[in-house]
Amino acid sequence: MSERTPVLEVEDIAVQFATSRSMFDGVRRRPVRVVRAVDGVSFTVAPGEVLAVVGESGCGKTTTANLILGLIPPTSGRVVVAGDDLAMLDKDAMRAKRRRLQMIFQDPYESLNPRMKVGDIVAEPLRVHKVPTDRADERHRVERALVQAGLSPPDVYWDRHPHQLSGGQRQRVVIAAALALEPQVLIADEPVSMLDVSIRAEILNLLARLASEQGIAVLMITHDLSTVAAYSHRVAVMYLGRVVEIGPTTEVLTSPRHPYTEALLSVVPVPDPARRTRPIVLVGETPDPSRIAPGCRFHPRCPRAFDQCPIVDPPLETVGTDHLAACLLNSR
Amino acid sequence: MRRFRLSPMGIVGVAMILLTVIVAVFAPLIAPYDPYETVRVTIMDIYQPPSALHWLGTDDGGKDVFSALVYGSRVSLIVGFAAAFIALVVGGALGLIAGYYRKLGGAIMRFTDFFLVIPDLALLIVIVAVIGPSLGNIILVIGLLGWTTTARLVRSQTLSVRERGFVRRARAVGASDPHILSHHVFPLVLPLMLANTVLVISLAILSESTLAFIGLGDPLLISWGKMLNLAFTRGAVSAGAWWALLPPGLAIVWVVLGTTLLGTALEELLNPKLIRHHLEKEKPLKVRPASLLPPKPELILEVRGLSVGYESPGGVLTAVEDVGFELRRGEVLGLVGESGCGKTTAVMGALRLLPPSGQVTAGEVLFEGQDLTRLDADSLRDLRWKRLAVVFQGAMNALNPVRRVGDQITEAIRLHEPSVSQGAADDRAKRLLQRVGIGPERINDYPHTLSGGMRQRAMIALALACEPALIIADEPTTALDVMIQAQILELLAELVDEMDMSMIVVTHDLGVVAQTCDRVVVMYGGMVAEQGLAAEVFASPSHPYTQLLLEAFPDMDHPDRPLVAIPGAPPRLNELPPGCRFAPRCPFVFDRCRTEQPPLYWAGESSAASCFLLEAPLQPVGDGDDV
Repeated sequence: MSERTPVLEVEDIAVQFATSRSMFDGVRRRPVRVVRAVDGVSFTVAPGEVLAVVGESGCGKTTTANLILGLIPPTSGRVVVAGDDLAMLDKDAMRAKRRRLQMIFQDPYESLNPRMKVGDIVAEPLRVHKVPTDRADERHRVERALVQAGLSPPDVYWDRHPHQLSGGQRQRVVIAAALALEPQVLIADEPVSMLDVSIRAEILNLLARLASEQGIAVLMITHDLSTVAAYSHRVAVMYLGRVVEIGPTTEVLTSPRHPYTEALLSVVPVPDPARRTRPIVLVGETPDPSRIAPGCRFHPRCPRAFDQCPIVDPPLETVGTDHLAACLLNSR
Repeated sequence: MRRFRLSPMGIVGVAMILLTVIVAVFAPLIAPYDPYETVRVTIMDIYQPPSALHWLGTDDGGKDVFSALVYGSRVSLIVGFAAAFIALVVGGALGLIAGYYRKLGGAIMRFTDFFLVIPDLALLIVIVAVIGPSLGNIILVIGLLGWTTTARLVRSQTLSVRERGFVRRARAVGASDPHILSHHVFPLVLPLMLANTVLVISLAILSESTLAFIGLGDPLLISWGKMLNLAFTRGAVSAGAWWALLPPGLAIVWVVLGTTLLGTALEELLNPKLIRHHLEKEKPLKVRPASLLPPKPELILEVRGLSVGYESPGGVLTAVEDVGFELRRGEVLGLVGESGCGKTTAVMGALRLLPPSGQVTAGEVLFEGQDLTRLDADSLRDLRWKRLAVVFQGAMNALNPVRRVGDQITEAIRLHEPSVSQGAADDRAKRLLQRVGIGPERINDYPHTLSGGMRQRAMIALALACEPALIIADEPTTALDVMIQAQILELLAELVDEMDMSMIVVTHDLGVVAQTCDRVVVMYGGMVAEQGLAAEVFASPSHPYTQLLLEAFPDMDHPDRPLVAIPGAPPRLNELPPGCRFAPRCPFVFDRCRTEQPPLYWAGESSAASCFLLEAPLQPVGDGDDV
């Protein structure tokens, strides 16, 4: 997978926001606090590859998605899509690029307009980008997208309203609307977290198949390692705006090289009372990204921290084939 | 699409308006005389009482009142509709823009506020007096003054629609603002705008009548307001000519009443919450008892044959049917199933915490020996929170946003145990919050300053305030990250142990059940599919649904195992299959499953499942046997 030219390259991107200051903060001469939501993230995704980005809320995974979509500009670093640096594109070129970068949202109940029919929902992105040459072409493209998303025969779904569909079917409509524009990169933000367990596999299978059969690069964002385990080639674990571990999914899940990954793995409930284990429950919540601890940013919550951790900020280092982790334990 | 069904009030309103419109359109055919015709009158014709010739008598000019009344409806309706149209267009456009573009919106709304504080009528009178009272001017002024309410309404609706998921998705696709406004925002705002327009019409009609009454009507036209004006100024009162005063007055009331009725009915149709309130008094229960067996002492909760129905336009929909389970003291029971399987409805039905449209239709709920379905409201209130408490789904909505966290707990303690002093209650609240992991420095915080996990901890502290015997946690970790979920589950397990409570966990997550529960009830389509000790059900699931659900659930000890989806979707309440509820999705289905509902069969030491595959050689579970 990695020998192919990546279609999506994220190079050391960072984004900082200044926290909003009230009038009193100015009077009291409080310094402006800077929130480093994403703080030097790099990864690549090849065509046909599924990369899972995993982390708790506040780790910067959604901000990373917004940076890739060009919805917010990075403070530093580059996002390169199919060879083009997004920052270098003018308005028209960016519009054209948008077509190739599509997003699937978390909530299929919210992301469909209740008054529109399925056919119009899927056709809308095409109309916005003025892709179809005529009605017949539009119909053809929409039907193809519906079939690709597993809604076949398409005529059955064409005239339905969202409320007539199940949750899984709705998410397929969302996927079809994204597919209609023939994207090169598909970003799925928690694509199954709002769906029933019994139908999650359908959607995950569909995304994995779209990657392998159509060569789409898929970025799957989630807080739940368990849902992506069998459906991603590689996984990147994020903590407080950084990637702390990245590598082939099986390897990361079976032999994690960062204590945070270990903890995330241990808290996934196992569906068997006989295997009830004591998970490594980290105390507290993801800390405030405006107050990042010196040294390793994970050390205040790390069960295995030692004297060097508050001092040295560990870089991502190779710990196996294609497997990198940012932890001092690995070099001890 | 929701079915468009107007309430009786709305139908009456429509009928009243329609009648008026018919009268206005066919005025020349209905009216016996033409009031605009100049006729010679003698003193004898003035203020004649009603007669066969003049049904409503004559006015100060000796003209037929009934005919004037019929023609007057034309002016009222023209002014009403035309002015409302202007208000709709101006107010709608400004409201949309103000709601969609935040910065510009602020400026527009300050402008609207300015209009709102000026007394409408005074301004109306001044402007009409200055520019002259022609019909066109009156319409224009009423319309231009009436747009403010429409603008405010449309703006607030736009503000909420623009944050919806499909608007965000359209933006990510690259759609322009005009596209989003016309395709996504406007269609969703339109119905509310139309309902409001009906009310604007009635206001416009009233304004026109007022203007005409004080002499600012179009001098060339007959309107109801002008009829009143003439009657008053030309001695109808002293002449005792009630027939010149009453009919136009009643006509105004008639039209305004009709439009108001329709407007109110339309609003209720668009916003059903207006009709009934959650805090409305409970309806008397008509519960069919399931059995009359005595309660078992070792059980804290015993639910027998519980059925719950929801009222809907198409009749009562059965959401939960014949559900039974038991809970021993100190045990944790998991109620698990997909969304729409009835797990929350079953629990809330058992506690009688259903929304107004839901009702327990059959069954018994024995809690510490008392049947909750038959308890009167006061005894039930005493029991709630003190003996059984609920941790609701979505902690933000269950906590009062304007009260400090500590105060809410203190209040709950004092409410249920009035003998406890304020100081003692404060101490207890502090200890509780500390126990659930909220430091004393946060006791005076408001819920919105807490994170999702912290709020859930506060909610748990609130539920524990009166040391209940049974705690019900409805999806306690659903919206939380895995790490926070682990923290909360660990906390709940510790608390159940420490405080010697029983707990029911309602969840869609089999992992949560496996990690926390002693017993499990798997629900599907409103019925129990399988139940028993968790260890047994997970080790050897008997119902095909349980088996498939386990295969669909990821297991991190085998990360490579692909998940298996169950084809199809859970049944909707209005199209429940006649036989086994799971039959349409079951891979082992046979003919009998499609026509007959399987009873619960023993499936092992402790477990029972409702599936015909278990029929032989095991015996069905009889009523009252241990399950």
